Amino acid sequence: MYRFKITKRQETSIWHSCLIFFGALAISLSFGSIILALQGKPPIGGLTYLFKGAFGDLWALEDCLIKGLPIFLCSIGVAIAFRLQVWNIGAEGQFAMGSIGATWLALVFPDQPQYLLLPGMMGASMLAGALWGLIPALLKIRMRTNEIIVTLMMNYLAIYILDYLVYGPWKDPTSFGFPMTAQFSPGAILPMIGNTRLSLGLWLCIFFGIAYWVFFRFTRLGFELKASGENMKAAKYARIPYNTLVILVMVMGGALAGTAGFVESSANLNRLQPSIMAGYGYTAIVVAWIARLNPLFIALASFLLAGLRVGVEHLQLDLQVPAAFGDIMEGLILLTVLASAFFEKYRIGLRKPA
Amino acid sequence: MTRHDSPLIRLEKISKSFGSVQANQDITIDIEAGKIRALLGENGAGKSTLMNILAGTLQPDSGKILINGKVAKIFSTKNALDAGIGMVYQHFKLVEAMTVAENIFLGQKSGFFLSPARMAERVTHLGKKYGLEIDPSARVSQLSLGEKQRVEIVKLLHRNSQTLVFDEPTAVLTPREADQLFLAIRQMAKDGKAIVFISHKLGEVMEISDSVSILRKGRVIDEMPISEVTSKADLARRMVGREILLDVKKKEMEIRQRVLRVEGLSSHDLREITFDLRQGEILGIVGVAGNGQKALVEIICGLTPPPSGSVTILGQSWNKFFSGRDDGGALSYIPEDRRGLGTCLGLDMVDNFLLTTRKSFSKGPWLKKNRARKKLEDLVEAFKIYPKETSNLAGQLSGGNLQKLVLAREFFREPRLIVAEQPSQGLDIGATEELWKLLLTARERAGILLVTGDLSEALAMSDRIGVMFSGKMIDVFSVHDADKVDNIAMMMTGVGGKGIGQ
Repeated sequence: MYRFKITKRQETSIWHSCLIFFGALAISLSFGSIILALQGKPPIGGLTYLFKGAFGDLWALEDCLIKGLPIFLCSIGVAIAFRLQVWNIGAEGQFAMGSIGATWLALVFPDQPQYLLLPGMMGASMLAGALWGLIPALLKIRMRTNEIIVTLMMNYLAIYILDYLVYGPWKDPTSFGFPMTAQFSPGAILPMIGNTRLSLGLWLCIFFGIAYWVFFRFTRLGFELKASGENMKAAKYARIPYNTLVILVMVMGGALAGTAGFVESSANLNRLQPSIMAGYGYTAIVVAWIARLNPLFIALASFLLAGLRVGVEHLQLDLQVPAAFGDIMEGLILLTVLASAFFEKYRIGLRKPA
Repeated sequence: MTRHDSPLIRLEKISKSFGSVQANQDITIDIEAGKIRALLGENGAGKSTLMNILAGTLQPDSGKILINGKVAKIFSTKNALDAGIGMVYQHFKLVEAMTVAENIFLGQKSGFFLSPARMAERVTHLGKKYGLEIDPSARVSQLSLGEKQRVEIVKLLHRNSQTLVFDEPTAVLTPREADQLFLAIRQMAKDGKAIVFISHKLGEVMEISDSVSILRKGRVIDEMPISEVTSKADLARRMVGREILLDVKKKEMEIRQRVLRVEGLSSHDLREITFDLRQGEILGIVGVAGNGQKALVEIICGLTPPPSGSVTILGQSWNKFFSGRDDGGALSYIPEDRRGLGTCLGLDMVDNFLLTTRKSFSKGPWLKKNRARKKLEDLVEAFKIYPKETSNLAGQLSGGNLQKLVLAREFFREPRLIVAEQPSQGLDIGATEELWKLLLTARERAGILLVTGDLSEALAMSDRIGVMFSGKMIDVFSVHDADKVDNIAMMMTGVGGKGIGQ
């Protein structure tokens, strides 16, 4: 009988990695088509529909970018913490707090000029998000709580605070009872780039993406983070202050997710309403993992998973596929891509019978 | 070929490379039944790779392993064990919560029910036969390192392994335990087992082995019966290719200011430890591993705070000294656990070099990585670290070369207090000589705490010696105190010392 033989690969090429990544993607898509078939939908046709809906025309591509922006910002934020092996899954709540912070300023100072109001809103969103990251960080280092659980619970807290505000004190009296704030004044809305539907938030993403790369590559703090994440004991040995770093990554991650909340509320919705919580903070975690914390790959993966969301919306409308299909696909992609990492390090061959 | 004219095991033309590094190249070695073969070589010569191939943890790129003249397929450690090849590693693979007998019978097909009495009987029998007695019902967690090693050996004997490989087995033993181990190894050879003995201690190799194979840069460069070797120096020369003396000339030093004071230090593992250390001296801490040395070092180096008693470093209290973000390079710690503590295996050599030197290479928030790389490249030359490319991950270096990287880094900082924990463990004789020279040079401006299990090292290097047993500092005395020096082996077992006679 032939048996499998697993050997370690000595070197890996970028092409090989790409091949494996797209192979994994193909596998998850074929699983997706099986699910479609089980629902009595056309399996291949459904997938083509998904693709066309997501990337078929300029309008759709714009949609992908619009949805990709908040995912990217949140993902960069969680990726910083993941580098330190701190499992921040609180981007969702930090995003909510960021949108609340920005909205607060927009509602209190509607008449301020744009050049004051927008930076102010961004600052407020970063502060609010950072605070939401700081709390679990302090609990972790002072009381040794598990950050996974605390950040997750903080998400619900933030979402309920948001709900309370838009159903209660911030509700627009002219909204016919819908839970939403009044529309922001023009000074509180991020301008669009040229004639597109894309806001200046895109430049923010590019800026933070480059900053992330520079931070880990060229700064001492970035190096200390990388080393601590690699081997916590060695970090202690080298007298790298782990606790300070935990606070730092959670605050930075919170501020980034908060910025995403600002971009989404200001540029996309022009107000605060419950539908702002579309799960970008959770998708961001998937993105960070499949991109292996690399900023360029995070950008690509954000775009791809945003595309999945856009495509699934089309499927929902035209083929009556339930919205949960998108979540299932997201999970499948995460699983296959993570599992495929094995093939980058190891080679499987057959060996002759012993 | 018949059974009789082929060796028990022949490694034939084994080659193995890791990326650009050729770890083994066309190695052919015969391991004969009833004989003890020593395997010698400098750090990174390929000994570990070769033994990992024999043990089934690595697969060779080419070449084969013959057992009794027949090609053996060894794809896993299980294959190797089934083929009668057993390894005694430096790090034991035992289940701490189980008893000795249970560990020995673990994972073997011997019927569904195991009779404790029968297991105990078997363990006692094997122990008697080889002089490796251990209590079969003792929990492994309560055993000393030397006893754990016995469990590992008896486990292999119970499996009836015909080939036993010992990787630096005496590093964790007292001199007496080492003598007993040697008797056991000889007995195994007498019983027809084939033994491979790996050690950097040339005296041991001369004492125990029948023949020696010397590896250099992945090839077998020499092979001889031990009777052809005239002396340790001769063996060292054959191995390194140059004269190695290993007798160091210690300059008389003027003892200057105090760099470390430990007073009444007690913890879970320590009992009332008091001593001090001054600039210009080396204090050797000897003792069998596991008698509190590790706990002492962890406190002095800032990994755990002192529970009671006081530790004063360079005139500052422990809290004050370790409260800062950096010590300005004043304290260097060369840890025994290089892989787990001293380095990040997943980062490259430059990053590992920066681990404790990052302050010297930063400017504001920026890290001057290129400057660090250039500096490291010089150090790689000076310390003869192999491979030379600094883009290699630390995890790709052999044990000895990794240690050289740590040494290069820690001495680069020009510290005033050095804590060196088993620094020569895993270093070949040439590198040990270099290390000793480094320590003596560093002594001119620093105080050095040298924690070592190697008595000859402690005696060669130290100005004073402290003996630890069971968490206590039995005695601290000058190396010139001949009476006490003669008694070190006794003190290491808790006998003698300052009025603690029994």
